[in-house]
Amino acid sequence: MRNQFSRIFLILAAVVVSLVFLYPTFQDYQFRKKLASLSGQDSITYAEQNQDAILSAKLKRIKLGLDLQGGMRVVLEVDVIQLLESLAKNQDDNFHAIIKEIRSQATTNDESVIPMFGKKFAERGIRMSRYYGNIRDADNAILTQLDGETAKAIDRAIEIVRNRVDQYRVSEPNIQKQGSRRIIVDLPGVKDEREVSSLLQGTAMLEFRLLREATVSYRVMQSIDDFLAGKVVGDTASAAKTGQKAEESKDALQDLLGNNKPSSTDTSKESKFIHEHPFFSNVSPDQRNSGEAYVLDRNRDRVIQLLSRSDVQRLLPADFEFLWSAKTAQNPDGKKFYTLFAVKKQAELTGKVIVDARASVNPEDNRPIVNMEMNSEGSRDWARITGANINKRIAIVLDNAVFSAPTVINKITGGRSQITNMESPNEAKLMEIVLKAGALPAPVSIIEQRSVGPSLGEDSIRSGLTATGISVILTILFMIVYYHTAGATADIALVFNLLFILGILAGFSATLTLSGIAGILITIGVAVDANVLINERVREELAGGKTLSAAIDAGYRRAWTAIIDAHVTSFLTGLVLYQFGTGSVQGFALTLMIGIAASLFSSVVITRVLINIMMSRGINPNFG
Amino acid sequence: MRVFKKTNINFMAIRGKMYFVSSTIIILGLISLFVKGVNYGIDFRGGTELVLSFSAAPDFGKLRSALAAAGLGDSEIKSFGNDQTILIRTTKQEEGMTVANNIKTAIQKDLSDLKFQVLREDKIGPKIGKELRQDAVYAVIATLAIILSYIAIRYKYIYGVGAVLSLYHDVLLTLGIISILDGVFPALNLEITQEIIAALLTLVGLSVNDTVVVFDRIRENSKIYRSMSLMDVMNKSLNDTLSRTIITSGTILMVLLVLLFVGGEVTRGFAFTLTIGIITGTYSSIYIASAIVLDNNLRKKITA
Repeated sequence: MRNQFSRIFLILAAVVVSLVFLYPTFQDYQFRKKLASLSGQDSITYAEQNQDAILSAKLKRIKLGLDLQGGMRVVLEVDVIQLLESLAKNQDDNFHAIIKEIRSQATTNDESVIPMFGKKFAERGIRMSRYYGNIRDADNAILTQLDGETAKAIDRAIEIVRNRVDQYRVSEPNIQKQGSRRIIVDLPGVKDEREVSSLLQGTAMLEFRLLREATVSYRVMQSIDDFLAGKVVGDTASAAKTGQKAEESKDALQDLLGNNKPSSTDTSKESKFIHEHPFFSNVSPDQRNSGEAYVLDRNRDRVIQLLSRSDVQRLLPADFEFLWSAKTAQNPDGKKFYTLFAVKKQAELTGKVIVDARASVNPEDNRPIVNMEMNSEGSRDWARITGANINKRIAIVLDNAVFSAPTVINKITGGRSQITNMESPNEAKLMEIVLKAGALPAPVSIIEQRSVGPSLGEDSIRSGLTATGISVILTILFMIVYYHTAGATADIALVFNLLFILGILAGFSATLTLSGIAGILITIGVAVDANVLINERVREELAGGKTLSAAIDAGYRRAWTAIIDAHVTSFLTGLVLYQFGTGSVQGFALTLMIGIAASLFSSVVITRVLINIMMSRGINPNFG
Repeated sequence: MRVFKKTNINFMAIRGKMYFVSSTIIILGLISLFVKGVNYGIDFRGGTELVLSFSAAPDFGKLRSALAAAGLGDSEIKSFGNDQTILIRTTKQEEGMTVANNIKTAIQKDLSDLKFQVLREDKIGPKIGKELRQDAVYAVIATLAIILSYIAIRYKYIYGVGAVLSLYHDVLLTLGIISILDGVFPALNLEITQEIIAALLTLVGLSVNDTVVVFDRIRENSKIYRSMSLMDVMNKSLNDTLSRTIITSGTILMVLLVLLFVGGEVTRGFAFTLTIGIITGTYSSIYIASAIVLDNNLRKKITA
């Protein structure tokens, strides 16, 4: 009996865990339905009021694969030949000839580029140190070095891509390194592939820009705020004057105030503030007078919109630009926010002068730092710039995003600088990559690109769900008709099985693809098989003359070996598929494996528990 | 409810004839594979593939001449599910999505009276195509090796061999049928894509299920009925498991047929492959796997 209790407990625990994992998906669905049913302004207000809940549901829901959501997947690979070309110095005709040969051979030959490269030099009897490294380096050493450079290039490329994709504001992008040379970029919902491919290629631009003085920065922000508030007042006034329809003026205000527009009957202090300060209600200037301002993640798009207005642009003085921080930080409430910097439009220095950057640790206080080295031309300029701007801040900007804005402590001659005040070794490592990204090339080529339009995605969801629904219903009916009560318990187990599969997917934040749905369908078949094995066996034992309870015992016991073997082999197949497949095949393998594991539990344990419960209450389950 | 009374079919008796039937179909399949070949999707060949949904069914001739004008005259053009949706595929390689854009521009120009929507747009570079082919081969080899080992460990080695040979049989048969049937039904696109390889491996997994159930019963019956000849034991085991085999295969088949007809164009090839596979898989558990074990034993007894 104790066995039974622990089994029941296990089942209930599994159910509860699955439901907990699945709840965000359910919530997300509810929210979307609600938002779709509300019209215009009401839906926006609703979204605003429940913003945090909606966001958290969105983060934890089951993600839909690109083939169900629509979007693009791009696989980038380091363009090794271009990298080799841009790393070489003293390029002469011989060098160019070699590069040309390699390039034409690389498309047909599959041999790795770098060894091939080395061979070409050996064939011609030219030492590689003429173009790479130090004069005394042996060819082999240089080849190893070049290998290392390729590996580092991919890290730079990933950071650059991540930075750009972030700025492009794709929802739930996924950027992953594959192997040592490839990047997989998943962009759900993205439709314009042309824009995106330019986003993912092209050299990165690193700049050093001086921050504008705090007083200037705040003055500009104030003027924007006044201007927009005036527009609010002006527009309302002019609307009243010209008798403009209430709706239209509402829309204009909507543009200005965004979701923060309170209802006209809300007279609280907060709504008054929002009304009077359309800019500052989204942008909080730093109280420590650094000139920075902070914008919550959810308000960023609106601020971008406000700042891009041509009438707002006219308020900005010459040589003044607002740039965003590349990454978010967290405020004490746990909310993510971006920093807005006021910088000079003109860059003091570009990243091309950087020769090396290295993350390291300050021996004196063990805190992470980054050591930066510039070439002779850069060193001269850098000495001048730092000398003239002591105690001012210089922003390190990659592709128009600010990664850091350290303060100049003293004049730096000799081109060696140290960036301190990093929060963590990771931040220092990131800074190293960023500094190098502007200086060193990380050329990538697109080797695979797939995009699925949203309508095909919707079709796929619909047909996938329909197929699953029909299959489940037919299976349930069949089991009841053929195996009676035993069939009904198998059906209940099947439903639990599906619940567990979805719960595990949600728990791992895995992605459901169309192939994944196919995997679920196969799992239904395999799960049913286990029960068929058991039920057939029980029937045999009954026919052999055993009592019901003995037959059930024997049936479960004897069927077990076959069930295990069958499930294990299917699981192993799924494992191989997961290992060797990509994209949609992996999605299939994943749900297959999860389903088989869950089926082992539900088909055997759950049905047994149900049958035992029935028997203990004196109900005799019918095996048909 | 019972459909199957206690049966006593002598399966093993006609195995000679079934060897013959299998071999014939496999040979036909192989001939088709060599002569007609299979249609590779761009997954394995590299290239560009577009699925466009037109406002009205376009004329294939006009499509072809539009593409020819863009230098893409040897592209494949097929319908995708219905005659308003067209799949265009070419192996031409160029930087980025140039080829796809060229196709779209050419069609817009020449078939200006029709509007279209891009449902899907894929480009595979040459290197990836080669890698996917390699990976597919490795996957198949790995699966067969794993299954051979697992069954050899759980049962006897010869059973492992029998199982694996029956799997070979299934895969060859299915591939052969795919090759023969490709293009025969207009609604059925049977291209070899990654998903089809996944389907083949899944059918390997499911076929092994079947085989294992039979083997498990043979093992059990051999212990109980020690005096019975192997042939009789096998027959008894096959009969014992017959109802389970039919019902399970039937259930899976039903699910697959639902997917085949309701699941939409994207999964059609996958569903079809598995449907064929289930049928051959069930058959092979009886007539290849068990038969081979039996014949191997008989031969050994004669020579040993």
